[in-house]
Amino acid sequence: METIYTIADNIISSLGFTSNENFHKLKQSESGIEISNDPKITQTPMPCSQIDSERLNSEFSKIGDPDQFTRLEKLMILSITDCIKQSGIDPSQNDTLFVFSSVKGNIDLIENENHAFEKDRINLWAISETVCNFFNAKNNPIFVSNACISGATALITAAQYLKQKKYTNAVVCGGDIISEFTPSGFQSFKAVSSEPCKPFDTNRTGITLGEAAGTIILTNDKMLVKEDNPVIFRGGANTNDANHISGPSRTGDGLYYAIRNALKESNKKDTEIDYISGHGTATPYNDEMESKAIAWAELKHVPVNSLKGYWGHTLGAAGIIESIAGIHSIKENCLIKTQGYNEHGVTESINVITEFKETKINNFLKTASGFGGSNAALYFSELNAD
Amino acid sequence: MENSISKYCIIKPHQVIVDGETAYTDPDKNEFGAFLKSVYKHYEIKYPKYFKMDNLCKLAFVASEIVLQSNEHLKNLDPTKVGVILQNAHSSLDTDQKYYETIKDKSNYFPSPAVFVYTLPNVMIGEICIRNKFQGENTCFIAKQFDPEFVCEYVNELMDKNKIDACITGWVDYIDGDYCAMLFLVEKNKENKKDNISFKPEIINRIIK
Repeated sequence: METIYTIADNIISSLGFTSNENFHKLKQSESGIEISNDPKITQTPMPCSQIDSERLNSEFSKIGDPDQFTRLEKLMILSITDCIKQSGIDPSQNDTLFVFSSVKGNIDLIENENHAFEKDRINLWAISETVCNFFNAKNNPIFVSNACISGATALITAAQYLKQKKYTNAVVCGGDIISEFTPSGFQSFKAVSSEPCKPFDTNRTGITLGEAAGTIILTNDKMLVKEDNPVIFRGGANTNDANHISGPSRTGDGLYYAIRNALKESNKKDTEIDYISGHGTATPYNDEMESKAIAWAELKHVPVNSLKGYWGHTLGAAGIIESIAGIHSIKENCLIKTQGYNEHGVTESINVITEFKETKINNFLKTASGFGGSNAALYFSELNAD
Repeated sequence: MENSISKYCIIKPHQVIVDGETAYTDPDKNEFGAFLKSVYKHYEIKYPKYFKMDNLCKLAFVASEIVLQSNEHLKNLDPTKVGVILQNAHSSLDTDQKYYETIKDKSNYFPSPAVFVYTLPNVMIGEICIRNKFQGENTCFIAKQFDPEFVCEYVNELMDKNKIDACITGWVDYIDGDYCAMLFLVEKNKENKKDNISFKPEIINRIIK
């Protein structure tokens, strides 16, 4: 079986423009969520996690003309640029594949009739085309839009191609921005919390939205790996609840099958997992369902967190940036506390992380679930672990 | 081991093609809604949830029903080994535009959760999964044009690695009254069957020409 190494990562969010900047703030339990009263985003005060536009344009102007790209494209290009620099790969070679994930893409263009871009730019494929042109990429990119599991699916898809040895490297980039569109919809569902979200807590009332872009570079070429004991992608799976388009399964069956299939692909036969990076959106149904799936997988003992209390729910970026946090939890041997969690509020007695803790972490499981009944699970470990 | 196409269905304006034969045409050349409803009736589909779906989901759903008719044996497979892998160009943009109309004017602001839920392209996959209790691999890919090479490669790999045993796959796109569905039921080759149609890009390209 081909080994898939992670060799570079970047997160751009309210907490910073690099993975290190972000992870440092997670370790300090610093949240990027603030109340917004911006009428372009919400008609009532709403907590959310937003990227500093001034910093975005000033960072971007070092590599390109900010007026030529949409907000999301700028985030993705900056994020990928940082990763390419770290990894040393040449993205214009035909051994490199680009895989993108986004839920709503350039949806802000729908709200601005006077934007300066071509009409087609609203399409998701136009984002991948624009970003790939920036990097002179040779291959047709892949674009995943699988609701809230998009980022996780993008990583699984990229790994599948690298395992087949069709490409050497995959640049996996996901992102979503906040405009008026998404908040209004989740508000109409009464799914947005009036306070910063409280994953797995008894008083949780809904999600907090966030914007972010994240990139991971995967490779099957050992020569590109700089570390002695790198973090590798072991396996992943997507499943469907087949229950309801906007509500999760009551039993957790779909997510359980995703976990089972991901661990099977990873050839992981025991339940010795050091950490679960949960989805934990803080809606009543999602967190309850997740606790059942974790219990079903016999993983109740494993420390679990949700990072939504720091970044909010970043949609197409979530699976990628939360996987990056897991990779850094392995590298820095620590567990990040679940911001917003105070009192246990799910049926199953899952082991929610309440305090930052330094401890040996060799592996982790990342889970995600979303509208359309979709679920995904990914398993990463150190090369020299199990 | 090769995978083969058990059945396929193409729905384009006023016409339904099943396994290469024109199976239904709309003499009145109705617009999408009326046309698809006539297809729904012609194939005696009975599923009340259909009437709540947006146009993209209706299109995907009806095409999947046609492909699955006379393939009852899929119900006996492990649900976690039946996948739905679709591709399209316009994501859910048609419904995104409709939804945006409900929030555009602040003096007439009525965002609807029933519309918002369809502003995700993978919901069409969810609808097919719910109808048939399919729980396997499911992903919605976005591309400017239908890419048979990509779809075949991706689905064949899932089948060859035994992640799934059967798959509904293909292209479903809807935007501003323009539409096209091309769905294929792909299964592992049945033994002793000489007329298996290989699930390969060159075959797909010939079928959709």
